[in-house]
Amino acid sequence: MVTEDAQLYTIEGIAAAFMIVVTAYLVVSTTTVLTQQDVHIIDLQLQQLGNDALAMMDSPDSYGENSILTDAVIKVVSSNDSLLFRQTFLGYVNNATNVAVPSYDRINYSAVIYYLNTSNQINQTLVGGGTYYRENSVKVSRWVFLPKGSLHVTDMNNSVNRSVLLEVQLWRE
Amino acid sequence: MERMNDDGQWIVMLGFIISIILVFLALIVNQSALVGKTTSESVLEFPKSEIQDIRAEIMEYNWTVDHSHCETTLLQTFQDLSLERKGSVIFFDYNETQGIIYIHFNDGFTAYNETTRGGN
Repeated sequence: MVTEDAQLYTIEGIAAAFMIVVTAYLVVSTTTVLTQQDVHIIDLQLQQLGNDALAMMDSPDSYGENSILTDAVIKVVSSNDSLLFRQTFLGYVNNATNVAVPSYDRINYSAVIYYLNTSNQINQTLVGGGTYYRENSVKVSRWVFLPKGSLHVTDMNNSVNRSVLLEVQLWRE
Repeated sequence: MERMNDDGQWIVMLGFIISIILVFLALIVNQSALVGKTTSESVLEFPKSEIQDIRAEIMEYNWTVDHSHCETTLLQTFQDLSLERKGSVIFFDYNETQGIIYIHFNDGFTAYNETTRGGN
């Protein structure tokens, strides 16, 4: 026989069921958001790492000296020798603390130098680096100060101090 | 029919409390995920290092070379390359008589203006 006892228990049961459904929905939707967030945080960290590495390279050891970055860029634009840039940059970005195996990170780069040539057109010189296929990459850039008199490519005026734009594309292999 | 047993009210209430706590925890986790997403997006969008970089470069010229020469080559270099490669508008001016440097940066989202004595 149907009675009207325990109305509150029924209401309680409905409320509990509703809360379980809402909770389950929130949990499921939360996990889907997380994947997007991961991509952005990885981009952010990679970009920050690249900017920091270039900033470290652009800090001279002592006052009045050229920074390593300036020297490396001069080597690239004068004799197409990117070894100094490659070694220093990869050494900085791949230097990981407390990573057991492997002891280095696996970040690679591809860099281009943009400059104004003697007829004030934008020209570019490839620094080189790894071959980029389809990895998730970020781009960082830095202005590099080249003092006058340093060796340049032929269409760059080296009788004045000048700045060139170094663009580095970074990705994790 | 036997009367429903209403023992264990405390257990029922604790179940209630726990489920409410779970709802709030899920809400917090959900919000924190969104916060991480929007934070990293806004950091990626904000041209912090671009502004620091252009500023450092302008200061480098201020300290090392005479300014009259920079007006022609340097300003054009910065303006052309920034517009072409970064889509940002840059202007700067060395005021020789007052020793004041004016710097302007705008990439469409963020505008930055500074008038400084260059730390001399």
